[in-house]
Amino acid sequence: MPENSGNLLPIYVVADESASMDEHIDDLNDGLARLHEALLAEPMAAAKVRFSILGFSDDVQVRLQLADLRRETALPRLTCRNMTVYARVFEDLRARIPDDVSALKGQGYRVHRPAVFVLTDGQPTDGDAWLAQRDQLVDRQVTPAAPNIIAFGIGNAQPATILRVATQQDYAFVAMSEVDISAAIAKFCSALTKSIVHSGRTLGSAQPSLVVERPQNFTMAIDVV
Amino acid sequence: MNLWRSLKSLLFPVVDTVPGEQAVPARGTARPSETAGGSGGGGLHRADSGRRPESEPELPDVDSRGTVYPQQRRPEPVQEADLRERERRELERRERPSPWEPVVLERPVSETAWRTRPPESTTYRPDCVTDGWSTGFFTIRAASVRGYEHRFRGTPRQDDIAVAHHEATGTVVFAVADGVSDAPLSHIGATSVCRSAINGMLAALDGPEVEVDWQGLLQQAAWQLCEQARLSLRLPEVDPRVADEQMATTLVAGLVRPLREGPVVEVVQVGDSSAWILQQGGYQRLLRTKHSGDGAVYSSATDALPRVPQVKASTGVLTPGQVLLAGTDGFGDPLGDGDGVVGDHFARALAEPPPILKFAHDLDFSRETFDDDRTLFVLWPHWPKWR
Repeated sequence: MPENSGNLLPIYVVADESASMDEHIDDLNDGLARLHEALLAEPMAAAKVRFSILGFSDDVQVRLQLADLRRETALPRLTCRNMTVYARVFEDLRARIPDDVSALKGQGYRVHRPAVFVLTDGQPTDGDAWLAQRDQLVDRQVTPAAPNIIAFGIGNAQPATILRVATQQDYAFVAMSEVDISAAIAKFCSALTKSIVHSGRTLGSAQPSLVVERPQNFTMAIDVV
Repeated sequence: MNLWRSLKSLLFPVVDTVPGEQAVPARGTARPSETAGGSGGGGLHRADSGRRPESEPELPDVDSRGTVYPQQRRPEPVQEADLRERERRELERRERPSPWEPVVLERPVSETAWRTRPPESTTYRPDCVTDGWSTGFFTIRAASVRGYEHRFRGTPRQDDIAVAHHEATGTVVFAVADGVSDAPLSHIGATSVCRSAINGMLAALDGPEVEVDWQGLLQQAAWQLCEQARLSLRLPEVDPRVADEQMATTLVAGLVRPLREGPVVEVVQVGDSSAWILQQGGYQRLLRTKHSGDGAVYSSATDALPRVPQVKASTGVLTPGQVLLAGTDGFGDPLGDGDGVVGDHFARALAEPPPILKFAHDLDFSRETFDDDRTLFVLWPHWPKWR
């Protein structure tokens, strides 16, 4: 192994930009801006993260790619579009993640297993077409750099769907039905921030681990199935 | 805020006084300058003329036993020219950092300023420890420094180190440990296993066999860790499960004997702390590290005491020009194979035994994303003894 230029954790926020998010997209943009501020106050944890934001609807649009958040003055804004096509997301990640990991390794970094945080407010509009893509993405035989996927469902998202997206049961969360969506998005962003900071902190140590915070007012998806 | 403004605000905390308004004199004694024939006026200082702070902290002139100390002269007000001179010096200092600033290797661990916080620990845990000495056969240096992340977060150094000399055989024994970050009292665990290992090795060298039972040494260290957990947590009895949760730690323990054929090394490992030989700027790994594999993405699951794996000591004879290193992953991770800037840095720093404090300073280098505790033991044989 050549010299290690640093330990990095690639993190992807995959956000639902379907039309039904229209009323709440500003809450999500505000939450991501606060995440950015919080990471600027954590220079050592932030140094170990490369942050991507992908907005998905009929297709996937890259809002931010492998950014070092210490170098960003502001995060780009998500914008609402049309449908909720899951297949496009997993197809995109299947190509993107191996490329990103090789690019970072090419720069001499030691790359930890990527983490994908998915936030969606609805059911997929493309039937079951996405399932095969998702399974290929997380199969470590097929995709050696397969990510951990942490899925958060709000609004109309069904627990069974969220469970199918996440790579393990305790990475699947749904907002409690009585919680309003704005509050749920704020809690999602806050939990995401804590997960990033805590995971970033452990990267240089002997036991690096992905730490996933359960957002307040969310419950494990399994509990409500 | 620019430097000029920050200096002014530091020196003149109160700048607006309404003319004619009287500041209340400090309770108790008069101000030193007043008794020394200063400005007088019942403690009134005009901000626009005297440039004196209205409420500066004062030390009492009389101590608790009633001893009266001579009045100290009030410092002269600082002139703007002096401030400019201070600013110039400050800028100069930033351009030419003090030799005691951490050595930055390419990019620093943080580009923004932050404060080292005291460690939250129920026992005293210094930021760093460093040691060094020479015997007839060897010179050693040892240091354990708190990681930048722990300094930033206010958590204790979880690494530790111990070294000793067995005089009768001329053997140097050493132990290096890295407390598992998830275990809240692992810093105590690290100290406990280092001391247990040192005591065990010294006792074995005193024994009739003059040999160390390495498997037994690790079991003894694990037991000591469980006992320490019982004491620290006031458990009614020893509970290895609690010791594992609260105090788990890696360990590298070893010794170097001055024998006729050369310095003979024996070393064992639990977890990802490791040992290397440095020779002519190149590093040879004596024990595995967590980076020995080549997976698609990097992962690490480390062994740690009190779980004792089956071990076999790695042994070998150092040859002229070789230097022995043992360290935690806080050193091993950034070193990698040693063919980059970190390897170069230590090849230069360890070409000869450095002064003890410089050794710790070299270990405390700053490099982006490497913020773990670092611990390193280095042994230089006195080669003329073997010629």
